[in-house]
Amino acid sequence: MTKPLALAIKWVLIVATMAGILWIATKLAQAGNTMAVVIAGLVGMGILAVYATRRSVPLKYLVPGLLFMTLFQLWPVLYTASLSTTNYGDGHLYSKEESVTDIIAQSVREVADTPRYKMSIATKEGGDPATADLVLLLTKPDGSMYVGDKAGLQPLPATGVEKTSIGKITKAPGYTVLNARQANARSKDLSAIAIPTSDGGGIKPVGLSEAFEGRATVTYDAKADKLTDASTQPPTVYAPKDARWVNVADPTMSFPQGWKESVGFANYTRIFTDDTIRSGFLGIFIWNVVFAIVSVLSTFLLGMLIALLFNDPRLRGKAIYRSLLILPYALPGFVTALVWKGMFNQDYGIINQTLGLGIDWLGTPFGAKAAILITNLWLGFPYMFIVCTGALQSIPQDVREAATIDGANAFRTLRSIIMPLLLVAVGPLLLASFAFNFNNFGLIYLLTKGGPFNGADTSIGSSDLLITYAFRLAFSGSAPNYGFAAAVSVIIFLLVALMSIPGFRRTKALEEVN
Amino acid sequence: MHKRALGAAAVTGVAALALSACGGSSPTTPSNTGAAGTSKATTSGTPETPSGTAAPVRDANVDLVIWTDADRSKAVQKYADQFAAENGVTVKVQISTDTRAQFKDATKVGKGPDVIVGAHDWLGELVQNSTVAPVNLSPDVAAKFLPSAIAATKFNGQSYGVPYAIENIGLMYNKDLVPNPPKTMDELVATGEKLVKEGKAKQVLSQFVSKVGNAYFAYPYLSAFPEGGIFATKSNGDYDPNKLIVNSAGSVKGGEELAKLGAAKVLSTNVDDTNQDALFDTKAAPFMISGPWSVAKAKDAGINYGIAPLPSLTGGGAMQPFLGVQMFYVSSKAKNAALAQEFVTNYIPRKDVQLALFEVGKRPPALKEAYDQVAATDPDVKAWYEAGLGGKPMPNIPAMNSVWGPFGQATADIIAGKAGAKERLDAAAKEIAANIAKG
Repeated sequence: MTKPLALAIKWVLIVATMAGILWIATKLAQAGNTMAVVIAGLVGMGILAVYATRRSVPLKYLVPGLLFMTLFQLWPVLYTASLSTTNYGDGHLYSKEESVTDIIAQSVREVADTPRYKMSIATKEGGDPATADLVLLLTKPDGSMYVGDKAGLQPLPATGVEKTSIGKITKAPGYTVLNARQANARSKDLSAIAIPTSDGGGIKPVGLSEAFEGRATVTYDAKADKLTDASTQPPTVYAPKDARWVNVADPTMSFPQGWKESVGFANYTRIFTDDTIRSGFLGIFIWNVVFAIVSVLSTFLLGMLIALLFNDPRLRGKAIYRSLLILPYALPGFVTALVWKGMFNQDYGIINQTLGLGIDWLGTPFGAKAAILITNLWLGFPYMFIVCTGALQSIPQDVREAATIDGANAFRTLRSIIMPLLLVAVGPLLLASFAFNFNNFGLIYLLTKGGPFNGADTSIGSSDLLITYAFRLAFSGSAPNYGFAAAVSVIIFLLVALMSIPGFRRTKALEEVN
Repeated sequence: MHKRALGAAAVTGVAALALSACGGSSPTTPSNTGAAGTSKATTSGTPETPSGTAAPVRDANVDLVIWTDADRSKAVQKYADQFAAENGVTVKVQISTDTRAQFKDATKVGKGPDVIVGAHDWLGELVQNSTVAPVNLSPDVAAKFLPSAIAATKFNGQSYGVPYAIENIGLMYNKDLVPNPPKTMDELVATGEKLVKEGKAKQVLSQFVSKVGNAYFAYPYLSAFPEGGIFATKSNGDYDPNKLIVNSAGSVKGGEELAKLGAAKVLSTNVDDTNQDALFDTKAAPFMISGPWSVAKAKDAGINYGIAPLPSLTGGGAMQPFLGVQMFYVSSKAKNAALAQEFVTNYIPRKDVQLALFEVGKRPPALKEAYDQVAATDPDVKAWYEAGLGGKPMPNIPAMNSVWGPFGQATADIIAGKAGAKERLDAAAKEIAANIAKG
């Protein structure tokens, strides 16, 4: 390739990248995310500085990796960590101001014994349908007609007015009736309309053709920061407490709408001080480690043995066997887990029926753990089989021959020659498999949901992993608490990271074999 | 040098791809169509199906967006088209695979629909998250609905939608084996055990229990006794999250009945959602406690089934199921609030709409007039409705989220004989109260 062509390609790609970043930045700007726009701009300048100049050659290779790492590794971790210091969750999604507006809007009740009006939405004649002040043309059930605007209700002279059979006004002199689409475009203004009436209520539209007289029972006193609900006798006063509006007289009552706020390290304090969490943690942690280790070892051993068997040149029809063995891996894990759940059923399951057993697999702690390990063995061994097959085929035949000539028997060859070479390739994958199984939420959730539960407490299951346990803790309250769930995730992340460090050290040692 | 330049170019390409891939998945933002009435009033005609289980992407260029499940979509589409033609607007019906969660998430980022079709027990959660708007039906229209259906659409005295169907569980029985449905549980057990002895059946009853329990199916055993149930009600009919009655005297009696039936192997934790229908449809069980969703499968299996109200328990009254009400909600963040309100308040209370929705769901319509017409010709619908006559709407308060797990597990443990009814329900009450207090 000639130099000018390479240069041209280079610049086309740089410009394309810049255009892409610009496009992303405009999208972000539309969404109103200033911070993200600034970051996108910095990334763009960085890319330009690295690739448009001749300097910093190593960075030319590192930048894509760094970008991906930030985007898919660092960002989620940081986001989770920042979420863990808030009370974000159901009932705490929006700001305090929004909770006030929402509570007041939801408290509007129809005033008793007031009529329903047939309604049309209009503007004064000549007004722009998109911006002019809206008026409501109303017809009472008795046929009398009114115009409603900010000032209140005025009678509408009947001359020149046209109505539909149900009484909805379609034409009135001096006013332009909006069509459905024009009226809909003013939805925001319509929801704010409340035509004042003599008894303190307001006439509000329902959709496009009906209006009712309603009154908000809740009022907000910004100075005292209190909400007052006048619908009860005496009026109930609500004050902010723990990101909710709580009844001052009876603290068990509160409005369901709360707001999002920072809670500092409260979520972490809760993890370390909550009695249920402390009592359950150790047992679950031990089972979690056992589960992850046994799963990795059992799947690896079975996968490796089968791989060794099929690596023997004397065996015929290997292609067929191999494809059949990969099948469990090819089926969706969720389906497999549910099928196994059915097979483990005490009364109707095929396992108990064929073996003539009466084991309550999923209803006893030991049975459930065994069932989970068996299912995971079935789900996991094809992966290990594929990986080991690949690694075995890359071990040169002459190394084995040399071992045989030196007088090593088959077992000795396996232990001293094949295993070390195999582990170089497979070691990191075993670690990855460990980390995956440590957080194998799907399997547990589909098979046992963490059960069976001991005693009278459904928060600690005997087959729970930390992750299923955390899930239940965070989501078993009245409302899912994402902030708390994030805090538990951060703790689990730290645990897995700590446990992985010795593992990575070990793989490094293995690599020295080469 | 040119080698290096090429390498750099390749790397830039990768980065460009990476960046555009990140941006590419975001849906196109609204390009405002500007002046009203410029685009012609058209609709897609067929509901838009999502790919996979992802939430539908809101089409910014239509005047009204409705999310529904796949079953209802055709019927909703038909009337959405009518509404569009009548008002000169465009309406889009989109299929959502998990409306409850997808609606909440999409609304939070301003991409939610204007109207959703869902169950009434989502209400507390939706109000808590400020995602639904009040829907003010006029009193004379509200009076046309079954009172229990209207009651289910209310939360804290405010009403939030228009109902179109009611569903509840009842007793399904195999007419070939049992000509007349039993009135009491004792009678049911005696009949069933006789059939098992004669070799005509393998077990008495098929009911969803499962290892972790099922609060929905266990509740009727408690509700058969006075004061039995989950939450007591306030004076205005709302459930009171501070008055838990899962361990009241009546509830404990219901728990003892569960223990008795568990010991007699009538109820078993080995029956769950995976085999419940199969047991009835293969004639292994002459009785099944289930809902309208089981009818199609029984029909396909050629079972000569009948539907009856749940039996009554000795020492108590009839078992009363929870009522589930299906309804239309309007989003509080609806971009087209006026059209959404107009559609929901004017179209859903129509008889023809309710009948169309009945045809796809086969649940008793919530509009009295529509129900009367259907009940006259469809005995199944009448039977389901009658099975739910004494039932109360499932609690729609957010505190119910704290009940399903602990209460379900308690009933499973009682059925399995792992614990006595009184002590287990006491423990469940304690746990539920603690969960509610967590907020």
